[in-house]
Parts: sequence; C-alpha cells; structure tokens
Amino acid sequence: MPLLIDRQLTENKWVLINPEEGQQASDLVAGVENLLIPYALMEEFAILNLDAMGPQRMGIQLNGDDDISDLATWLPQLSLIAIEFPIFRDGRGFSLARQIRRLGYQGELRAVGHFGRDQLGYLERCGFNAFDLADEKHSDDVFKAFDEISYHYQGAADDPRPIYRQEINTELS
Amino acid sequence: MYQYNKVDQKIVDERVEQFRDQTRRFLAGELSEDEFLALRLMNGLYIQRQAPMLRVAIPYGLMSANQLRKLAHIARTFDKGYGHFTTRTNIQFNWPKLEEVPDILAELAQVQMHAIQTSGNCIRNTTTDHFAGITADEIEDPRPWCEIIRQWSTLHPEFAYLPRKFKIAVTGSSEDRAASQVHDIGLHLVTNEQDEIGFEVLVGGGLGRTPVIGKVIREFLPKHDLLSYLDAILRVYNLKGRRDNKYKARIKILVESMGIDAFRDLVEAEWQFTKDTELRLTDDEINRVKGFFQPHPYESLEAESPALIQQLQSDVDFKVWFTRNTRAHKVTGYRSVVVSLKPHLGAPGDITDLQMDIVADLADQYSFSEIRSTHDQNLVLGDVRQDDLYEVWKSLAEHNLARANINTLTDMIVCPGFDFCSLANAKTLNIADAINAEFDDLDYLYDLGDIQLNMSGCINACGHHHVGHIGILGVDKKGEDWYQITLGGSGREDASLGKVLGKAVAADEVPSVLRKLLETYVEQRTDEERFLDTVRRVGLDPFKEKVYAAAH
Repeated sequence: MPLLIDRQLTENKWVLINPEEGQQASDLVAGVENLLIPYALMEEFAILNLDAMGPQRMGIQLNGDDDISDLATWLPQLSLIAIEFPIFRDGRGFSLARQIRRLGYQGELRAVGHFGRDQLGYLERCGFNAFDLADEKHSDDVFKAFDEISYHYQGAADDPRPIYRQEINTELS
Repeated sequence: MYQYNKVDQKIVDERVEQFRDQTRRFLAGELSEDEFLALRLMNGLYIQRQAPMLRVAIPYGLMSANQLRKLAHIARTFDKGYGHFTTRTNIQFNWPKLEEVPDILAELAQVQMHAIQTSGNCIRNTTTDHFAGITADEIEDPRPWCEIIRQWSTLHPEFAYLPRKFKIAVTGSSEDRAASQVHDIGLHLVTNEQDEIGFEVLVGGGLGRTPVIGKVIREFLPKHDLLSYLDAILRVYNLKGRRDNKYKARIKILVESMGIDAFRDLVEAEWQFTKDTELRLTDDEINRVKGFFQPHPYESLEAESPALIQQLQSDVDFKVWFTRNTRAHKVTGYRSVVVSLKPHLGAPGDITDLQMDIVADLADQYSFSEIRSTHDQNLVLGDVRQDDLYEVWKSLAEHNLARANINTLTDMIVCPGFDFCSLANAKTLNIADAINAEFDDLDYLYDLGDIQLNMSGCINACGHHHVGHIGILGVDKKGEDWYQITLGGSGREDASLGKVLGKAVAADEVPSVLRKLLETYVEQRTDEERFLDTVRRVGLDPFKEKVYAAAH
C-alpha cells in the first residue's frame, strides 16, 4: 500500500496489532518497534510493560464509532493516530481529525481505509498529513490532488483563518 | 447583489477544472462508479430516468439578468430549450450530456455561477425570502447572511461527507416565505431585549419520509457568532448522525432521538472550542458583504400613479393580474411582480430559453437587472415602477408568463415526478395538468382565495406535500399510480404538517376529489376565512365525509 506522508511517498513502518480471541497481546507485540493498536484496546495495552518488550513508538487506530473524550490523556505517548474510513462516504473522520488537532496533537495523523484521491485535499485541510492509499488509487496523479483549489473560504487545521481574516482577500478584491 | 472578487472567481474556475478532470478519469475508467457518484452529486449532477440532470445553484434565489441569459443559452445549446426551477430556488436541466457538463460549468463560471453542492450529502444552497430587501416588515435584509453562509459552506473541507444532505434557510421578516421551519437549520433574524439583532436558531426540521417541524435550539445568537455556531451544529451532526440507514440520517432524526435539550448541550459544548476563535465574524466582513445589498437607486415617486389607475380601470385582465401577481414594495411608487411559471397547461416551474431571455430583458429594462427565483417555483421582478407595470404585464402575457394565479390553487409546487426522476413512484405532471383542466375558471379560483397545493411523486417530498394546505403524494400500488391526500399543512410562520385525509385515490379521481374538498370548504367557511383556517377549525371529518361517503 503506498503511504504518503507530508506529500512524500514513504515506507510504512507501523504494524497494526489487533489480537483475536485467544491471542495474548503480549505475544504479538514482542519485537515490534512501531506498534499500532486499536484505540478500544488502549487500556489493555497500557497495562503491559511495553517498554520492556521493545516497542519504540506507539500509535492508535480509531474510527467514528470510538468515543474519543479521553483521548487527550494518551496523547503524550502517541506517535501516530490512524483514523479509519469504513466507506468512502463516511465523513466522520474529517471531524475527528479536526478535534484531534484541536487537542494539540502534532504527530502523524494518518487516513486509512476507504478514501480516495479526490478527498486528499479536504483530508489534509482537516489535519491529516499521512495517507495510506489503496494500491489501485495510487498514481503519480495523486500529488496534484492537494492543490486543485488554491484558495479556501474556511479556516481549517492547516490555517485557522477564514477568508475574511486572510490577507489575500484584501489583496485580490 | 454580490459580485465575485478574484478569489471567488478563482475558486469557481478551479472547481470547473477539478470536475472536468474527475469526469475525464471516470470516463477513462480510472475513477470508480461509487466514488464518482459522490463527487458528481456534490456538483449537482444526477443520472436520471431519461438522461443526466444538472442542477445549477442560484444562491438564495438571486440572479442577474446576464446570469438568466446564460441559463437560457445553456438550455438552448446543451439541453432541449428549457429548464426547471426547484423549491431550493435552483434550476435544473434535464437533458445535458455527461461529457458536456464540464463545458456547461465553464460557461456558468463566466457569469459567476456554478453547480457546487446542489446535491449530495453536503451543505446545499441556502434559501431565503424571495421578497428579501423589498418587504416593509423586515428586521434586516437576510441576503448578506445567506452570502456569508454560502462562502463558509462552499467546498467546506470537513462537511462534504455528512450523513445526509443539509439545508439552511434564513428569514428576516415575521412572515416566513422560505419554509424555514422545515429546514435542517432555520435562522430567523430577531431583535433581543437590548435591541441587538441576532438569530433565533431552529434545528432538526425537514420533510421527506419523516416530516418534522424544527425546534428552537437557541433563542438568540449574536450575529458575529453565526458561523462558529453553525460549525458546532454541523460537527456534532457529522459525528453523531446515523449512517446506517439513509432514511434515518437527517439531523431531524438525531435531534428527535436524543431530544433537543441533549442535542443543544452537545452543540454548546462543541461551540465553546470555536466561538471565540477566528471563526468569529468581523465587522469588516459583515459590512463588506452588506455593501453588495444596498437599496437600489430608487426614484422618488408619488404613491398614486394616474396612469396605473387608468390602466386598471380600462383593462380588466391587467387588473386581475395586478391584484394577484403584484405585491406592495417598501419603496413608494414601486411594486414587486411575480412572474407565474404556472401556466394553464405546463409543468410547474418550467421555463423556456425564450422566456428566460424575455424575463432577463424585462429585468434590465424595468427592475434593476435582477431576478429572484422563489421557493414555490416562480420568478420575481422585485422593483418595478407602478407606471411600468402595464408594459411588463403585456410582455409577460405575450409569453405565457402572466397567468394571474399566484397563491391560488393552480400555483402549485410540483416535483418533476416519474416522468423525469428515477426516485419517483408516481407521475405528477399529468395530475397537475388534470387539476389545471378541472379548475380553469380563474374567478372560481379567486373566490377560493389563497390555497397552497403541493405535490410530490414520492415520499422524498421534493414537492413539499406535507406543508401544502392540500398535499398530494403519489404512491405506487401494484404498478398503478395512486395519490394520498393530506390537508392542513403549512410551510409558513404558522408551520404545520398536513394530516392524511383517508385512503389514496386513483389518478383520474384526483380532480373530482379536489372539487369535493373545495365544495366542503365553501360550505364550511366563514367570511374571509382561508382554506387552511377552515381545515384547522373544523378538522378533517367534514372533508372525509364528502369525499368518501359519496363513493358509496
């Protein structure tokens, strides 16, 4: 799967660990350096002594069904937050990203799941800086997707100023 | 009216090229059907029963003569010579070719128009009172606020994939001509105890399968906080609205299920993060936008026009049109003209390219080059001197645009129905024709007074049947079209939902059933009582008895 981080093609170093029934989380994480876990299992993983087992970095994956009201307490430990898009039309991830950036999180915010090239511009504006694109959706063309619209009426995660607080509005009017 | 600056123009131009590329990639097989569906809908393009259908935005129903001429040109060049005005005050073209749509959009961009967010699960065209700015009883002109909302909602990065479509209406008068109470958000300009102007905010209204009247979420919202508060409502809805069932995905279902108080708490909590941020509107911006909606350079005219009085006396056809299709203007010596798109036999809301050109010319000559499209599918020339009314009428009459039926039974709101729409269960245009044929006596219609008849070809309720004084809903029964009738609805300031009269009636029975309903009204009414008021006073029983008893 092609991974874009900050508009650069990059190799994915993260491993999603999602224990199935009967599996021990501690068995699965041994030796994993970049550990991505489902947010719902955060508590469970928190009681493991992860430092001793080896992960150097920890990230979580969540989606619109997760209640993120306690997320702030975990943020200092996280190097990656992945937001899953269950289907192309499910737009909850856009708002989740806004809320997560609003909490002050400055690490990697990655879109995973079913999203497309034509959503990249909006996703980036909402605070995503990483995109785990499906193989069939990747081409050299995707790099153009970010800048198809040069100006924005709304403030967003990239620039909080709506058009009426941007200098450009007075320059061009 | 608002004029694009270079930023506005650039955004629309780039959007055209973006859509051109999306269309190209779809036709080349690089973009899946499913993704292109969402993308094309967000740009107003449906694939309908006969052909693609393109819906062009007319922000808050205001357009210039040049814009209307461009729409005529598009109808002539890319379509079959006509367009259809909708209840969101937009216009639809029924026969464009998919591959030509980018060229149509490029033509529109030349006159500061677009099709952005006229469909899809995003924030749609904001609507308002079609007499905004020219009605006497207004707290403030709502159109600058509509434009501020238009800009905020256009290509909004966060609210493009909502659970379902989202509609906002703004009113500035105590009379509600925008059906604001059946919108996802209704905004009413109001004055508080300190004499400050702000908004009463309603949320969770809507029609469709589950019609609901909106509830007050905030009695007074300071105007500088408009966008931050809308932002909070939309974020809560985007995160919490149902996505498992499209019929339960509108905000009204969320508000109903959690209760308005709990919903308000969520919105208030969200709002605390944004209310004092950059989203707060500046005085400079409010004043900049208001500057585009200053009153026209009206002449100082006498209240009485001797010429008009003479014309009214000598031409009875002109007089009935004047009475029914023109309206008082807040400036002495002017009137507003409603251009009837409800001819004797013809699809309600339809207009030909030639008619568009005629109306555009009249606007240039007599009404400051502006035209308004109305929620009930007519047009308005807002600012006509009384002395010019006769000339305007003659021209409109010559082109079948002066049927003197505004606010009467035949001034119906009707969706295109099964003839065009792939969602529809039943035809509507044949029923509209049958009603027109049955009630062709204008004197009878005038005696009946103001009646709003709304008709939809399916439960999605694009024809707003729930809020018609008389509502007609087409239903499919074993392959045949049947029609369910409701009475007592209103989309106005006294909003209410119609109640079902009884079992559905066959297509050929609709006119005679209407005849019985109207006879019942005439029997039951007191002096000066509107149809709606009689229904509200006496209830449905007398109407039911007349309609269903006679069948036995």
